[in-house]
Amino acid sequence: MKSRRAWLLLLAVSLAGALLSYPPQWYPLSLRLQLSEWFGATGFQPLPESVQVQSEQAEQYCPDDPAGWRQQQQIEGVQISASLGCEADNPFAIAAFVRGTNNVSQAVLIKSGLTPDAVVKGRDLDGDGDPDEIHIRLEVAELNGGSPESGEPVTQYELAPGIKPGFWVFVPKYAGMSTENFESSRARKLLRVPSPAIRVEQGDKVFITLENSHYMPHTLHLHGSDHGFKDVTGEGNDGVPIAGGLPVMPGQARTYELQPREAGTKFYHCHVQPHVHVMMGLQGLFIIEENRPNNWLQTMNIGAGHVRVPSVAVSEEYDREYDLHYTDVDIELNERIQQNNDPRLIAESMHRQYDTTDATADYFLLNGRSFPYTFRESLVLVKPDERIKLRVVNGGRDGIALHTHGHTMTITHRDGVAAKPGALVTRDVVWIATAQRLDLALSTTNDGLGSYGSGIWLFHDHGSKAVTSNGIGPGGHISAIVYDQYLGDDGWPATSGVSWDPYFTAAYYRKQVPVWESYGGDRFSGVGSDRVLLVRLLLFAIFAGTLLATVLARVVKRD
Amino acid sequence: MIAMWVPVDPLYGQDHSKHASHRMILDESGMVMNHNEDELPRDCQAISREYEFKVSAGTEFAQHRPGLTFGYDRNEFEVEPCALVRITLTSVDEVRHQWMLHGLPRYLYPGGMFHLEAAGGHTVSGSFIVPSDDRTYLVHCDITQHMEKGMKAQLKVGKGSGDLWAVPGISKDFRRATYLPRRYWYWFALLLMAIPVSTLAIIFARRH
Repeated sequence: MKSRRAWLLLLAVSLAGALLSYPPQWYPLSLRLQLSEWFGATGFQPLPESVQVQSEQAEQYCPDDPAGWRQQQQIEGVQISASLGCEADNPFAIAAFVRGTNNVSQAVLIKSGLTPDAVVKGRDLDGDGDPDEIHIRLEVAELNGGSPESGEPVTQYELAPGIKPGFWVFVPKYAGMSTENFESSRARKLLRVPSPAIRVEQGDKVFITLENSHYMPHTLHLHGSDHGFKDVTGEGNDGVPIAGGLPVMPGQARTYELQPREAGTKFYHCHVQPHVHVMMGLQGLFIIEENRPNNWLQTMNIGAGHVRVPSVAVSEEYDREYDLHYTDVDIELNERIQQNNDPRLIAESMHRQYDTTDATADYFLLNGRSFPYTFRESLVLVKPDERIKLRVVNGGRDGIALHTHGHTMTITHRDGVAAKPGALVTRDVVWIATAQRLDLALSTTNDGLGSYGSGIWLFHDHGSKAVTSNGIGPGGHISAIVYDQYLGDDGWPATSGVSWDPYFTAAYYRKQVPVWESYGGDRFSGVGSDRVLLVRLLLFAIFAGTLLATVLARVVKRD
Repeated sequence: MIAMWVPVDPLYGQDHSKHASHRMILDESGMVMNHNEDELPRDCQAISREYEFKVSAGTEFAQHRPGLTFGYDRNEFEVEPCALVRITLTSVDEVRHQWMLHGLPRYLYPGGMFHLEAAGGHTVSGSFIVPSDDRTYLVHCDITQHMEKGMKAQLKVGKGSGDLWAVPGISKDFRRATYLPRRYWYWFALLLMAIPVSTLAIIFARRH
């Protein structure tokens, strides 16, 4: 410093500036009270203005259906019922699943996207008019995986706008690309969550070949289905590595066989490190239908949901059938496949570093999607005076308290075993523990108990977590029972509440959009910032810094 | 120049709804799509040369490459412009594998691709004719994660247009884990100590 006077001046200025710029609202309480006594209250200062936060364009709620997949149609003798929600399964794939990929024309096979050996149906052993030798081939696909090139996930699958955690799923044996088409990065429709619902007939000879096209070992475990511990060749048939046989390594195939004596809604899943693999999506419904004549089953129901070719037994008692597969996602597990490309590192990350005992589910899926996408694919569409069969499995970590608005449900089967006819339970919240299955009968007769009449009646888990996506609601696996009166021609329900535009943006589920901004106007919009305070703080920082430097300059002696 | 993704044909954006002319053969041994051995690309007067490559695909070809699961027995193909190329693909695993080439002209190959798919233990063959420009084409298996875990190759016509990223044996991964030693905090502590040590060293050096 040149002179002591200059130093003193700088000291005084910086001290005064710091004191003056310090925000009065942060003065100690006693000082503020004293100042109020002397000068009264400070003048009015309006709070910051509201600001519009949402800027993303909403997606189209209901995609177009140019190929007419939703319509009722007949393909090579297979009657496929209409599925009038927004998105319906490929009817050519359905026809191939019903007749067998070995029993359809080349044109249908190509449109189905399956290989000729994906589902091979053999001889009619009991002479009742339908095949009883079923050969099913399953591969293992990875969705939203990582890449050594791109930072974006590959073979993308969105469970809700902008939400793309990694998944491992069983898929039918498909031919061609894994993506929709040559320019898209989206997974084709056959590759999705959950693994397909498989249907076979009681007494059928069933051979399921797991062709492990993945880079991790996997097995198939037929949970609940009548199968031998070992197959006829003496190989392990239960799919449990610590008990029955080595897992199926990448590139290998193994055939599991069963000839189930009992019908019912069962389950199938991988049993290698199941606390990880099952949670990654390697799980599906396995339904053994009662034996009936001319019972050509839809061997796979891709993505579960509406069964467009129900079995003879189900058609005898019900007007419609829906497979409802609930799962959940802990993002801390599922995102790990995107963080590394080396299988050794992925294996370590998932099976050694991830601790499932600390797991909490963040996303909740019905048939592989969360709200609002559940409304595109997983509505239970009904007409009045119908009986609807729901086959429900809970593949999540926690129990589900399933509640239907406007209806009660009757439990007809528990884990595929029929309840006693005189002791059927009818209630509006059913509890389904992990891996349990419930067959539910829904009545749409307006009698005040089974149904209260037409409407758009939500159904969802009544636990507060599962109606959110990572804490943002509405989300999770909310879906609805929608009566035909309330269904638009394009498959979208005619709701009359709030606009759904915010829900169809990724920003909403990134927690960025104020909850009622879309209809609350300025009252519930985002909040601007207090610029005055910001400037005061900046000035305070400058003056305080100068003050400190001035003091230190005097204190620290220089050479 | 390192080509990062599929070179886009100037006729990009063509209508995909007419899929009838995909020339697809689909049977128990696999699939061949867009086989072409006689129709020349517009910029070729005649077939310059014929090539025949036998390719095997499977997990055994990644065994010598740490961190990869699937592989081809060769990762690079070099051909002359306007060549007729015949590929015979065998999957030596019990699962299917593909040999897909992207970036061909779309007026001749719908989708710009030539696609071979061999079921586990089976062999399929198909041919295609390449145009005259020097270009590197992506070759891969499109089954989910097969390319990412090693089933990737490149086909260079003429001088090619550089190497693609992450071709096993030929080019590096664009994104790669650090593979630092397991107990990396010891090493980091050492590195962090270097900062004050070098600072003090400079201060002392300047003083004397």
